[in-house]
Amino acid sequence: MQRFLHFLLPKITTKNNRRKDALITLLLLALATALSFLYFRVSRNSANVALLYILALVLIARVTDGYFWGIFASMIGVVCVNFLFTYPYWALNFTLAGYPVTFIGMLAISFITSAAATHMKQQMQMLAERERLLVEAEKEKMRANLLRAISHDLRTPLTGIIGSGASYLENGDALDEKQKKELVKQIYEDSNWLLNMVENLLSVTRIQGGEANVNKSLESVEEVVSEAVIRLKKRLPDARIDVSVPDELILIPMDAILIEQVLINLMENAVLHSKSELPVSCYVEDSENDIIFHVRDYGIGILPERIKTIFDGTAYTGNISADSSRGMGIGLSICKTIISAHKGIIAASPCPQGTDFHFSLPK
Amino acid sequence: MNAKTYIVLIEDEKNICNFIATTLTAQGYKVSAAPNARSGLSLITSGCPDLVLLDLGLPDRDGIEIIREIRTWASIPIIVISARTQEQEKVLALDCGADDYITKPFGSSELMARIRTALRHSNRLQTGSRLNQRPYRANGLVIDFEKRLVTLNGENIHLTQIEFKIVSLLARSSGKVITYDSIISHVWGPYADDNNRILRVNMANIRRKLEQNPAEPHYIFTEIGIGYRMLEDQEG
Repeated sequence: MQRFLHFLLPKITTKNNRRKDALITLLLLALATALSFLYFRVSRNSANVALLYILALVLIARVTDGYFWGIFASMIGVVCVNFLFTYPYWALNFTLAGYPVTFIGMLAISFITSAAATHMKQQMQMLAERERLLVEAEKEKMRANLLRAISHDLRTPLTGIIGSGASYLENGDALDEKQKKELVKQIYEDSNWLLNMVENLLSVTRIQGGEANVNKSLESVEEVVSEAVIRLKKRLPDARIDVSVPDELILIPMDAILIEQVLINLMENAVLHSKSELPVSCYVEDSENDIIFHVRDYGIGILPERIKTIFDGTAYTGNISADSSRGMGIGLSICKTIISAHKGIIAASPCPQGTDFHFSLPK
Repeated sequence: MNAKTYIVLIEDEKNICNFIATTLTAQGYKVSAAPNARSGLSLITSGCPDLVLLDLGLPDRDGIEIIREIRTWASIPIIVISARTQEQEKVLALDCGADDYITKPFGSSELMARIRTALRHSNRLQTGSRLNQRPYRANGLVIDFEKRLVTLNGENIHLTQIEFKIVSLLARSSGKVITYDSIISHVWGPYADDNNRILRVNMANIRRKLEQNPAEPHYIFTEIGIGYRMLEDQEG
């Protein structure tokens, strides 16, 4: 018996679920009985009463888990019809003609409906599972691509650091003061570059579960911009940047740490790669539905065919030496990830002189 | 410096510990380092240091707990060392009684500046100096707490009541970061709404009155997700 019951109650049913199912079953049966009483009062037709019970049965089998409650309800239904609505009233009489047919019919209906419902639920679960796996695989692929790009970019400064360190340790005696200082400076610069990279990567881990899932809170645009400029100047003391913000205070929902990172990346690229003597300008535009941040340089500009793929993080081709633009690809693809997670748009537009990088954030 | 200032450093990373200890010793401080909370606390109780540098991620105990414990019996300045992305942790540490924080990785000049600020504040408290009477002065900005007067390069600046309260609160702890919550409860009272929108609005107004370019502040700096920090008072 125990095993039989076990088969009827599917494994996923928890105690709580079972209580809910019992409640639904009793409620529907009570409802059917009440309606039958009303109907029977009026028409004295017990055939339709059985129909009402069958309706309740189908519903029960559909809603509850497993076969148990359906079978249980069909038994109760048969007894109720027999007891309440067939002659002799208020007494059980199993010898009535056609009675076994009613019983078997109700049992079969409940069984079939339960089976169909269970099957459907299983299929739905399977579908959801398959979808989840697909998304997971996609994410895994993205992660692998990023990792590959990163390890490529990390190796260059690490080689420099290890080389300089080893050279200092091994040939320390043969080097003069100036050469030693040069080596240490090299280590210092390369590690700063590494730190920048790691901070970029860390910011990506703040975006959990991909798109549109960042920790947003109302932040003041001018505070984020000014903090970004201050942090950039800490790293590049010679950087010249013209900043301006609108006169009125703008508060928009965002993850300030991430947006700051985007601004720093864009400004750093503009300072380091534009090869311009003119200061980079950074300004904020307030439009109807969103806020647009601009980072504009007045330098050499970017080739049109490169602008198209500049946010993809793909390897740079052409005759630009890999070293001069190291890290630029990843930095920008991280910017894009961050901005899309905020449901904004990031783009680069070539100008007569230099390039305008801009991104929008919805209000 | 007549007697060497004594600093206890609690940090489990050996390399960082070495670097900080070397820098501090070179700057003329006396340093004792402990690799975990237990030995750190015993150094503090036995040595009565002038300042504690505390890493929040220790192997044996939570750094926040250590701050709470020290604060039950001593008011020595505590500077917390923490990683950049953990604003929540920094705010919690400051609200539990830490004096300031410094973000990993940091340069030696930044570390020295923080230590000097913290020491200066604790000296003022101990000697009961006339900080409240003496005006705040930095780069042309003068705040007279008694006369409730703010001047910038000799020109009078008109601040509202609330704005003056915020500015003077920041100026009295200049150089130290003050969390949003602590500003709100000081200015609007302990039962104020913890929504900091009103603080942002007031800050934006203050910035427009004090700073030449609100996007490039010189006096009041934002620490995103944590609070505000005012330029250090230049008269010590």
